[in-house]
Amino acid sequence: MKLAILGSGPGGYVAAVRAAQLGAEVTVIEEDEVGGTCLNWGCIPTKSLASSSEMFFRAKRLQEFGIETTGNISPNFLKILERKNRIVNLQIKGIRNLFKFHRITLQEGRGQLISPSEIAFISKNGSHGTVKADRIIVATGSRPFQLPGFPFDGKQILSTDDVFRLDAIPRSLIIIGAGVSGCEFACIFRQLGSEVTILEKLPRALSTEDTEISEIFERELKKRGIRLLSNITIDKIDTRDGSVHVFLTDGTELRAERALVSVGRSLNSNGIGLEKVGIMKGARGEIIANEKMETNISGIYAVGDVIGGHLLAHVASAEGIVASINSMGGNERADYSAVPSAIFTSPEIASVGIRGQQAEEMGIKVRTGHFQFRTLAKSHIMGEIEGMIKIISDESSDRIVGVHMIGPHASDLIHEAVLAISKGLRTKDISGIMHAHPTLSEVLQEAAADVHGEAIHAQKK
Amino acid sequence: MNPDDLKYHKEHTWIRPSGKKVTIGITDYAQDALGDIVYIDLPEGDTEIEANGEIGEIESTKATSSIISPVSGRVIKVNDDLTETPELVNDDPYGKGWIAVIEIDDAAELDDLMDSSEYAKFVEEEAK
Repeated sequence: MKLAILGSGPGGYVAAVRAAQLGAEVTVIEEDEVGGTCLNWGCIPTKSLASSSEMFFRAKRLQEFGIETTGNISPNFLKILERKNRIVNLQIKGIRNLFKFHRITLQEGRGQLISPSEIAFISKNGSHGTVKADRIIVATGSRPFQLPGFPFDGKQILSTDDVFRLDAIPRSLIIIGAGVSGCEFACIFRQLGSEVTILEKLPRALSTEDTEISEIFERELKKRGIRLLSNITIDKIDTRDGSVHVFLTDGTELRAERALVSVGRSLNSNGIGLEKVGIMKGARGEIIANEKMETNISGIYAVGDVIGGHLLAHVASAEGIVASINSMGGNERADYSAVPSAIFTSPEIASVGIRGQQAEEMGIKVRTGHFQFRTLAKSHIMGEIEGMIKIISDESSDRIVGVHMIGPHASDLIHEAVLAISKGLRTKDISGIMHAHPTLSEVLQEAAADVHGEAIHAQKK
Repeated sequence: MNPDDLKYHKEHTWIRPSGKKVTIGITDYAQDALGDIVYIDLPEGDTEIEANGEIGEIESTKATSSIISPVSGRVIKVNDDLTETPELVNDDPYGKGWIAVIEIDDAAELDDLMDSSEYAKFVEEEAK
């Protein structure tokens, strides 16, 4: 079985490895570096910057931990980027080695479907050819969305990709969009010393999160000195005298050294030959794929950002595995019942399952349990007391239907909840098992107990 | 001890009346129960507030809790010093740890509040 995969991001490369494990002869066509947005412009580089900024932020608190320092500590953005590059390059090497190990052919070049069994490619140096395959997986991903009328210039009006081409930390930064990336960059640059203002047209930051979580997050922004202006509309953006001027429709003028536009993603579904072979697309340009990752054309699958949906790397990888198995004759379906999300702000935010406001809208009768990180000894030991966890359970069955947290290591802690939701566990299943002491994981046990008013260390209400 | 010239609310806030403008803060009992205060989410200037409504939030190393306004009115001044030094509330809850100045709508609301000895009794009852 010959399998061709268009794109080598977390959807494409994982699909390639899984298919090779199943015995397929795999070719991956990639126009840029392996790893896609996630590895080159997204998850990995941003988290590397977040770690550097967090390190600086914490270094300023060394005395609090009993460590005396002499001299100044200050961030050097070029060195922060060098560290980021080392991490990215190591991961790139890792994927390339996986390809070698699994005898996966990496064809460099921009690919385009020319028939249901052929992908033509042209590489940057002009060489071209055709890859023939029995099955094809399209995993072309997405790219930063441009605000109509305010094109990125890469210098002052930046996309999230352009951030990695900066040569210094901006003294001041306006971030347009208080979504996941906007808020992550706000925390990164604020902690590195920038004056940061976030502009958001919706009433709140991280509006898709549970309302209680985004409320706490907005307070954390305030604490960190990040200004959030919500419910605003931008009238125009000018660049002059070395600064960016943003005019709001209410007449406010804001000025900063640079502006970062982070208002979502455009799907990479144009110019890849979908029309040529008749693959159906939806209103946003997303390839329409079913739970088996099949498109309307037999033998062609699509996974990851390009099919719309979650736009999360781990969802793309899970879909890639499903597509690979099915392309090799299997009958798998993607399971979206417990999709974790992790936001690497300071503090971190993570969630799985339904939000409190969704439960209300859906008319589901629920109970909730809360627990504050500051109640735990471990939070005080680590010096990270901010944050809260909320567990939502179905009132009649006690099954856990949503877990939301903001606090230290939330992105790691969420997975106990992912397991619980995907296996239909009840709050008693979590409150009734031992959680090692002293660890942050105790928040889950206590919040689960709090659903029934049984948290041992609960705050008096 | 709780100063005699103040009025007290059951949510452990106090006010210092002076004409239409009153200063509010949290009581010594409240700051002691909260422990080390690390952050105070102050009300925005010029916002309308209601008696028994939340006007801000206090975070201590032990807990987070709402600051409840004893009166209705409009916030005309907030204690910006608390942004950098929230521990002023622990050190001097009736002085430098004041939270906001409010222009009140209805002076009659003050009659519903407790005086210092009533508040002392209230706290004693609550502690039981």
